[in-house]
Amino acid sequence: MSLNVRPIMSALLRNRTGAVLVAMQVALALAVMVNAIYIVMQRVDKIGRATGIDVDNVLIVQSSGFTANYHHVATIQEDLAYLRSVDGVVAASAMRGIPLSDGGDNNPLVTRPDAQRTDNYNSWEVDEETLHALGVQLVAGRNFRHDEIQPPLTKQDASRFVPQIIVSRALAEHLFPHENPLGKRVYDSLNQTATIIGVVDPLMGSFPGMLHPDWVYMMPRAPADFLGLNYTVRTRPGTRDTVARLIEGHLAQSNPNRVIDSVRSLTYYKDLSYLADHTMAIYLVTVTALVLGVTSLGIFALATFNVSTRTKQIGTRRAVGARRRDIVRYFLVENALITSGGVVAGCALALAVGYWLSVQYALPRLNLYYLVGGVLSLWGIGQLAAWQPARRAAAVPPSVATRTV
Amino acid sequence: MFAYYTRLALHSFGRNPGLTALMVLAIALGIAVSVMTLTVYHGMSGNPIWWKSDRLYSVTMDGWDPQNPYRADLHLPPPELTYRDARHLFDSNIPERKVLMYSSNGVLSAAGRAAPVPVNTRFTTADFFAMFEVPFLYGSSWSAGADSPPQPVIVLSREENDKLFGGANSVGRTVRWNDHEFRIVGVLNEWYPLPRYYDLNGGNFSPPDAAYLPFNWGIELEALNNEETDCWGSDPVNTYKDFINSECVFLQMWVELPTRAARTRMQDFMDGYWAEQHKAGRFQRPRDNRLTDVSQWLIDSRVVDNDNRLLVGLGFAFLAVCLINTVGLLLAKFLNGAAVTGVRRALGASRRQIFAQHLIEVGALSAVGGVLGLALAAVGLAAVHHLYASAHLGNRGGYQEITHFDFTGVMWAVGLAVVATLAAGLYPAWRVGRLPPAIYLKSQ
Repeated sequence: MSLNVRPIMSALLRNRTGAVLVAMQVALALAVMVNAIYIVMQRVDKIGRATGIDVDNVLIVQSSGFTANYHHVATIQEDLAYLRSVDGVVAASAMRGIPLSDGGDNNPLVTRPDAQRTDNYNSWEVDEETLHALGVQLVAGRNFRHDEIQPPLTKQDASRFVPQIIVSRALAEHLFPHENPLGKRVYDSLNQTATIIGVVDPLMGSFPGMLHPDWVYMMPRAPADFLGLNYTVRTRPGTRDTVARLIEGHLAQSNPNRVIDSVRSLTYYKDLSYLADHTMAIYLVTVTALVLGVTSLGIFALATFNVSTRTKQIGTRRAVGARRRDIVRYFLVENALITSGGVVAGCALALAVGYWLSVQYALPRLNLYYLVGGVLSLWGIGQLAAWQPARRAAAVPPSVATRTV
Repeated sequence: MFAYYTRLALHSFGRNPGLTALMVLAIALGIAVSVMTLTVYHGMSGNPIWWKSDRLYSVTMDGWDPQNPYRADLHLPPPELTYRDARHLFDSNIPERKVLMYSSNGVLSAAGRAAPVPVNTRFTTADFFAMFEVPFLYGSSWSAGADSPPQPVIVLSREENDKLFGGANSVGRTVRWNDHEFRIVGVLNEWYPLPRYYDLNGGNFSPPDAAYLPFNWGIELEALNNEETDCWGSDPVNTYKDFINSECVFLQMWVELPTRAARTRMQDFMDGYWAEQHKAGRFQRPRDNRLTDVSQWLIDSRVVDNDNRLLVGLGFAFLAVCLINTVGLLLAKFLNGAAVTGVRRALGASRRQIFAQHLIEVGALSAVGGVLGLALAAVGLAAVHHLYASAHLGNRGGYQEITHFDFTGVMWAVGLAVVATLAAGLYPAWRVGRLPPAIYLKSQ
């Protein structure tokens, strides 16, 4: 079976403009699509990274004391006792540090007292219920005991460190590559030292946007009144929002010496931290879909136009023996030729744009699988768009050849 | 002639309504997408105090760790100052106005009023309001004399005044900020500079603060900064006094320098201070004392992010696809009507007249496409706004503040529609005029 490429080609070359315009659209569409989808996939991966946290069922309550009569330690005890008594609450913990919130503390830790402090790691103050309240998995060592939780920092000893810490596996591997981190010592900026007693994995800290969001360590200490306190409350599935309303109502009244700044779900913080990535992905997908839609309409319109201006010629071909399927094939091959021209130019354009983006915005270099996928889908779209006009062409009766207009 | 051509154009649209609708849609979509991205870009790259942008300077000095730069990727000093440096620079009489500030959490309550409200509080100096041209609804700023020693005075935002006093003129009344009583001297009018150039540490598009207190109260009440505080070094910071004397940066400082001479003197003053401290063992990094005006400050602070630049590029790529599409469709349509054009040519219409006639047809298309594109852009922006607003749970702040359609956006849409479609229409209109009339008079 011959595809008769040569006569189709020569007919195309005789009437270039329309074909060139469609090929240009295909080229641009390919460049836009491939790069946009590549960026979208990176964002989707970023948003979908494991947090290690039971994000959907966790509430964060922020409380601030503001009068001279405010008793910080007593308030924490009272609040925790209340929170743990609420029906639907699985665990409650007093912390400083809101996971995934894009705000919090970063501090240096080193493995030798004389080492250079170049990196900062996300640090949380936690109690013995924090791991349970977040749903974080301990993979080595042990959790803090209640009697290990240090009293809060005061404005007399704000540099005090803690004797033990729990670290994320990622941080453990960064600090002690290929070694068992349990029992190892780390040093803070003042060379105060702590022993690693536990390792959790996976865990994402407070800063999802940082290069290493999973470099996190936890200090067993009650949060200080002057630095900020948040309760992390884990609820039974399905009860989160009911519990939120209940505890907000109670805590706002229970102590006149403090205010409840907010009671929010952890998904709120997570969504806000990823909002830009999320919107970018939606935007890119929408525009890509529109580009493909407009391009396929362009292909459709050109094919329709070609069919309508060639009615007489089609009739003549039919009259001298061409079958319907020969006519359909003619238009599909013609479309494939045009699309191929566009795709070749589009590949070059897509690679150029991809290279430029990787240089300009430090994005990873374009993955070639995306290019292959883009080429195949544009070929498919081209054939689909040309299908209906080709069928119309095949329906032209041979008798048209004998009529004059 | 114009009326006649317009009538011809309408007639021609009626001949292929499907094709016409397709062209209008392509133009409208192209314009909608590019106008949306441009509107957001414009909102981000705005300079909310452009009229005195080159008189206002942010003051920064690089007193960071000699071993490590503040940020390896930026080659800039830290965006904030330490207390001791800021205090010294603030004593200079060179600037016409000067502001020293940071922000902190606090709780406001008024006797006999609703429950206490947590408020973002700015500790700042008297010039803040005049320097940044903050509008007052009631009362005014505190006097410079109230800065030091600090008088118990407070300025509230309009929103906070609405919450606490139902919008009444509250000047002269007292409120409690945490445990202390302050007399209200002023209530701000609606004020929301975008981006929040004077302090970008709490987010580029965050709302301004709810309450303003004299700077020295912050130090006296030992209030901590609730935005970015960055420290280096290994001196213990156990007490607030330690913190104030440490190398931690947490203060924003701005000066208003009306002349180039004043700017030079201020720079000399900073360099002199730097040299003195350098000799005493501080400031061991290369000298980098900066007075940065507002527009440069916004660039240095990377207010416009890469995603947004990318989206503008994408918007224009999409517009290009739509326009190429339109060129193709116009060409097809005009050539389809070549027989009619042939008759008109044979009856004496000049090439120029044929060109004009078709260009008017294109103009009509672009007008409809432009209007539709504007409407689509408005819908799209509303959708994006909704997306942001729902993530913020209805609170203000963030990108939602700049996803509004503004006058500039409308002008962009109109301009783009006209330029783009005329550009798209030129070639087809010219081409159809070049067709030899004779063959179209024959039967096919």
